[in-house]
Amino acid sequence: MNLQRYSRQTVFDEIGEAGQERLLRSRVAVIGVGAIGTVIANNLCRAGVGFVRLIDRDYVELGNLQRQVLYTEEDARQRVPKAVAACEHLREVNSEIELEPVITDVNSSNIEALISDIDLVLDGSDNLEARYLINEACFKENRPWIYAGAIVGAGMTMNIIPGETPCLRCLFSHSLPSGTGPTCSTAGVVNGITGVIASIASTEALKILIGSSDVRKTLLAIDIWSNLFDEITIEQNRDCPVCAHHEYKLLGRLSGSYTTSLCGRDSVQVVPGSKTTIDIERFAQRLKGIGTVRYSRFMLQFSGGEVEFSLFPDGRAIIDKVKDESAARSIYSEYIGL
Amino acid sequence: MIYLDNAATSWPKPEKVYLAADEALRRGGNPGRSGHKLSIAAGRSVEETRMLLARLFAIPRPEAIAFTLNTTDALNLALKGILKEGDHVVTSSMEHNSVARPLEALKSSGVEVTKVATSPLSGVDIQDVRASIKENTKLMVFTHVSNVTGTINPISDIGELCRERGILLLVDAAQSAGVIPIDVMEMDIDLLAFPGHKSLLGPAGTGGLYIRDGLVLNPIREGGTGSFSELLTQPEKIPDRYESGTLNAPGIAGLGAGVRFLLEQGVGTLREKESALANRLLEGISQISGITVFGPPAGRLRTGVVSLVVDGMEPTQTAAILDDAFDIAVRAGLHCAPDTHRMLGTLETGGTVRFSIGAFNTEEEIDLCLEALRSIAEEGGLGEVRE
Repeated sequence: MNLQRYSRQTVFDEIGEAGQERLLRSRVAVIGVGAIGTVIANNLCRAGVGFVRLIDRDYVELGNLQRQVLYTEEDARQRVPKAVAACEHLREVNSEIELEPVITDVNSSNIEALISDIDLVLDGSDNLEARYLINEACFKENRPWIYAGAIVGAGMTMNIIPGETPCLRCLFSHSLPSGTGPTCSTAGVVNGITGVIASIASTEALKILIGSSDVRKTLLAIDIWSNLFDEITIEQNRDCPVCAHHEYKLLGRLSGSYTTSLCGRDSVQVVPGSKTTIDIERFAQRLKGIGTVRYSRFMLQFSGGEVEFSLFPDGRAIIDKVKDESAARSIYSEYIGL
Repeated sequence: MIYLDNAATSWPKPEKVYLAADEALRRGGNPGRSGHKLSIAAGRSVEETRMLLARLFAIPRPEAIAFTLNTTDALNLALKGILKEGDHVVTSSMEHNSVARPLEALKSSGVEVTKVATSPLSGVDIQDVRASIKENTKLMVFTHVSNVTGTINPISDIGELCRERGILLLVDAAQSAGVIPIDVMEMDIDLLAFPGHKSLLGPAGTGGLYIRDGLVLNPIREGGTGSFSELLTQPEKIPDRYESGTLNAPGIAGLGAGVRFLLEQGVGTLREKESALANRLLEGISQISGITVFGPPAGRLRTGVVSLVVDGMEPTQTAAILDDAFDIAVRAGLHCAPDTHRMLGTLETGGTVRFSIGAFNTEEEIDLCLEALRSIAEEGGLGEVRE
């Protein structure tokens, strides 16, 4: 195989020709091809990772282009599925590797199949529900994965390797109930942090794939707006249900959040998977900067751009003007949080 | 939980319904297939339910009832089993999609359809039905009761007209079976499609079609019937002709227990109780400002299905609030009957909120429901976010 195009990596001692050949034989999956996922996919494809599966349920929208580096205005006009658009652009960058788009919502029924033929999983998702699922699937299938997330000017990433590192459940033992934490839609995010976090995660990916001894074992937490750079050692929780006891509750659960199309208009009701209580008034305050919000003690009604929804204290939301349940889940995840 | 979604499926069921379904599932046996004791017992239980249904609807021969998956399945069998190219069918604008959609599909095979306009208060006008008859009118299909407004169609009058003119009458009894006494002979009904899981109080996945003696339909499904296996063609014998594939024996056993309960209580008694509760609800609502009710007002002939809109609020929002804040289960939207909403003027505004009363609702529940509606109408207005 001609390794000429990868000369900047092959002359770098830490990678070399042997490392490059390993990369070309490696298979990765990127779950979620948004701000972080596009940067990871871009880096890994250019670096010559042999097989890259890109998984996302969403379609490209204009509001994505501020940070999701692979997409164009034309993709947004055509509403191309992100997984497809990303693969098409990356094929023009590197036609020698294999790219596989998968347009789906990752759930307990499909995640094991999506990662079973993969050497490393990269997290480009936007919600903790998906990340807990990735965590369980990776421990069950004994696959390393890299957690990566960002919001406002801050981000975190951690390499999670079964048998070597603690897991995501050791880091966050419980998720915040739906609708109680900030999301990128309500709090914002700068493209510098998504790029930085994703670049670090994709470099760790190269190290893991070639078997480098320099793989980071800590949680990296940085805030490029407030200028904070931290490496935190996470202890393994000896009672962790996932990495200590190998209990994969979410994988066994047949439904997480539940969606139903409501008859009447193009609206879909999303009910979060676990119990939550939303402070409607506080939530209204949080949303008021990004659209029109009106509320009563029973509910809140939001409209901003194309997005319209009603949110109720038990966490259910009715998402209006959506064509399918997957689009409704995306809006829920983006504005309310899963 | 206050359950007011009985028009979708009834809940709870009489205790004996749960027990009968459980017993049938544990007992086993494929009804009407093998000759062993279990199969015979399962077959017997299915035939018992058939007899109970025959008794309920005054059907002379129980075999004239074919079990189906649900009302939709029964309606499809009736419509597609009878109508052919060149036939004309008369129906109304109050139908559920389980009638409207098969008819729309049949249009492409050359079936002509006339939809008679209906009044939300009294259903179709028999004069309009009469006026819509053509030379090639083969069938009339009408819902007995609107699933949106509880409006009752004059089925006996339509039956009389059909008999006079030699036209077949198919009645969609999804919202009436078990609520309004039905006598197929007296009402001149040729085909009656009914659900098992609504007011007959049986489990989901059950239903049936009564087919008048002498009427032979084209089966919409061919297959094993456990009888005449030497024939490659579907047998003529009823109900086998229409019951290919293993029947839902546990469900049908449960349905039998539901019908038995109804026969013991008397359909008339339950109807009076449900009417009284519907009137209580309607009268209570009339005391609350900001709520629009559709369909017959209190005191008028109707069933326990009440549709309304809280002014300034999407029906789906009202239903979500009732569920979230008050633990009251209702349904919002079009209720699969777009023509009805076109008539009510609620098609483009998201339909209605539907409260449907069942055999086990109480006055206390209706009063709690009225309190909830009052509270939503008074405090549900949306305000701006304060700085």
